[in-house]
Amino acid sequence: MFIPIDYLLASKGSKVLLMGNEAIARAAVEAGICFAAAYPGTPSTEIVETLADMAKHVGIHVEWSTNEKVAFEAAYAAAIAGVKALTAMKHVGVNVAADILMSSAYSGVNAGFIIVSADDPGQHSSQNEQDNRWYGLLSHIPVVEPSSPRDAYHLVKHAYSLSEKYMHPVILRSTTRISHTRQFIEIEQDIPVEKKCKGEFERNVERWVLIPAHGRKQKKRMMSIWKKIQEDDGAPPFITIENPGMKKVVFASGIAYAYVSEALEYMGKKNEYTVVKINLPVPLPYKPIVEVLRDAKSAIIVEELDPVVETQIKKIAHDHGLPVDLHGKDFVPENGELNLEIVYDSLSRFEGGGITKPWRSIGEIKIEPPVPARPPIMCAGCPHRNTFYILKVAANKAGLKNPVFTGDIGCYTLGYQKPFETQMTSFEMGGGVGIAYGLSKVIDEPVIGVVGDSTFYHACIPQSINIVYNKGRAMVVVLDNYYTSMTGHQPHPGTGISATGEEAPRIPAEKILESIGFETIVINPMNVKESIEKVTEAYKKYIEGKPVAIVSRLKCALQTLRDARRKGIKLPVYTIVEDKCTGCMVCVNLLACPAIVVPVGVKKPVILEDICVGCGLCASVCPFNAIVLKDKGSPNWIEAWM
Amino acid sequence: MDVGGGKDMVRYNIFIAGVGGQGLLTLGRILGNAAIEAGHDVTVAEVHGLAQRGGTLNVQVRIGPGEAPQIPRGGVDLFIALEALEALRYSSYVGRDTRIVMNKFIWPPPLAEYPSMESIIEKLREHGLKLYVVDANGLSKKILGTIISANIAMLGYSYAIDPGLQKLLEYKHLEKGLERVFRGKVLEANKKVLKESYNEGLKLI
Repeated sequence: MFIPIDYLLASKGSKVLLMGNEAIARAAVEAGICFAAAYPGTPSTEIVETLADMAKHVGIHVEWSTNEKVAFEAAYAAAIAGVKALTAMKHVGVNVAADILMSSAYSGVNAGFIIVSADDPGQHSSQNEQDNRWYGLLSHIPVVEPSSPRDAYHLVKHAYSLSEKYMHPVILRSTTRISHTRQFIEIEQDIPVEKKCKGEFERNVERWVLIPAHGRKQKKRMMSIWKKIQEDDGAPPFITIENPGMKKVVFASGIAYAYVSEALEYMGKKNEYTVVKINLPVPLPYKPIVEVLRDAKSAIIVEELDPVVETQIKKIAHDHGLPVDLHGKDFVPENGELNLEIVYDSLSRFEGGGITKPWRSIGEIKIEPPVPARPPIMCAGCPHRNTFYILKVAANKAGLKNPVFTGDIGCYTLGYQKPFETQMTSFEMGGGVGIAYGLSKVIDEPVIGVVGDSTFYHACIPQSINIVYNKGRAMVVVLDNYYTSMTGHQPHPGTGISATGEEAPRIPAEKILESIGFETIVINPMNVKESIEKVTEAYKKYIEGKPVAIVSRLKCALQTLRDARRKGIKLPVYTIVEDKCTGCMVCVNLLACPAIVVPVGVKKPVILEDICVGCGLCASVCPFNAIVLKDKGSPNWIEAWM
Repeated sequence: MDVGGGKDMVRYNIFIAGVGGQGLLTLGRILGNAAIEAGHDVTVAEVHGLAQRGGTLNVQVRIGPGEAPQIPRGGVDLFIALEALEALRYSSYVGRDTRIVMNKFIWPPPLAEYPSMESIIEKLREHGLKLYVVDANGLSKKILGTIISANIAMLGYSYAIDPGLQKLLEYKHLEKGLERVFRGKVLEANKKVLKESYNEGLKLI
């Protein structure tokens, strides 16, 4: 069992190892927030997850909202009522919330309000690597960007001060390497006892009702704040000048500072450069930039992804007539995340090349057969595997020809892989149903939108309504495993518990679908045979032209495993009887379960007992009944799955 | 240690490779906490998200002053591989002086062809690397009946064979690291696994 949250509540002076997201959460609590709302999304999830863990101890409201737009609205409302608030989302989540983001800048706030945008350069776990600092320029909301988890811990508090100085929202832009790096952090203040949790609504239609006439006035207010920040907020911690007065300058924004700093150290060139550490890249305060460029001959701007700072610095240099030789994306890659080695290369090229790296790799070792790719796969016992298998087998039985399975964002996106191929699109949250509808209007094949439970509540309900309203021909399948599993099992409206662990109302997906007008069939995909029959019937109704939906409900295998351990339940384990096994490989080829492996030089598969969680799917597909129970498990093992 | 131009910048680089679900994040956290206990600055770079189970995964621990989370290729001091295919996948991080501790375990991805344990070991030996092959799954299973603490066994083995890590951390710091992450019966079990793997590791030198 892990030690829960003592380290998050540590007192002033404690030395703790905090993940960037934990550091952001702790700092927000120190800053006095009393309201936090988010929708989970890598790499942002642990911010509000940490706040949820702390909520009862520190007396704040924390929730998982149905999507980012809803979360933003909730937290923004708290802030306009004078309660300090935070919302956090992954970079693409900001797209979902963009409408209210834009308006929030026009109307401002009555208490500190931070939007954490956790970007994902390198696309570790996202569909794109958009640079959300642009959102700052687009919306006229300042962007604070830390250089390390420790920096994030300090800057969150400064960001709240900035927000309250102008009563304006502030974006805190993190990235995967900030959010998911742990760093040694010394806690600098205790959690405040006093904080404002009760708000009051200021009746002020000119401010909150953005009809065009009011909006024009609010825009003037917003622009004057924008200009003031550019003018006044260029001092540390937002812009820090190290070793001033040099002819060569590096501007380093956010995490790029960590790389620049270490690279110059390795090059032994730290004394030759003025380094400008930028933690307020948008809008870039011009005074320190001008000050540094006056002394400089040449400069390089190092930043991850897009030339957001570079564009502004070039404009500042131009406006102030500073003829400095300026470089940036000509030496620093625009694609993917940066690291020490890449920045070392960039600086080396800026120096004219020829600086060898101090690290000597042995290179990639080649071997035959080569090391196979290991993309993420569905876990052993994953209910999605069962559902995908059932959807395909039933399609054959029902005579559903060449079905198109549109997909969405979740672990189940992995169904795009062989042998399932039951996810043929995945663009954004909600697209699984929206794209299914559109396709169904223009193609002849049957179209089945397969989406997760959390995704369904997040953004698939308007699309489902649209199918019925506009007489689409798409079927909806909701994979209900009780949790937002991919991001670490956060509860959602179908779970029956809240972010902070209290009992919450359950809003079952089938009730929603039925009320929209879908005939909705609920299956338990562990009952493979019965489910195939039910889905076959559903397909037949679909072919007849009826609006049909399926909810496939079984708990996520990882959560099942955890619950089983917690409750002392032993799950069953299967084994393959060697004498009965003909080596036909049906189990391997149809299911791609990580618990079933074929050892080198052997023609028959074996089950890894330590990995098997006893779902029994392989036993039900084996044509020779060669897969049998090795260990029956506890008599009540099924309870762990429900 | 890194061979760099700068004198102040000496970070000890530990690369942990394996498969999602093998306890890499926990191992990184324990090492990070142990470093704090020993009074060092530290960063631990994790990757979360889709790679919850079954995907390739690495965690990078850098002990000493500095904030860049990722280790440059060739800059690893201690390479801990919880799975043998993953040891090869990340071999470009290995340098001439890297010590490699590899779990004698292959977890093949479904539907894939893959090299044998013997050929992997042979390849690593060909490069003249300091390689230690250990049975962390076996040790965890022997003590606890499951492979769940193979990650802790890897820590014990690695500490035993790596003078660099011993210079930075004392054994008690590793135990303190465990205490910051586990408690109760699980803590006691993992302390036992750590002790036994450490003792086994000493025999490998």
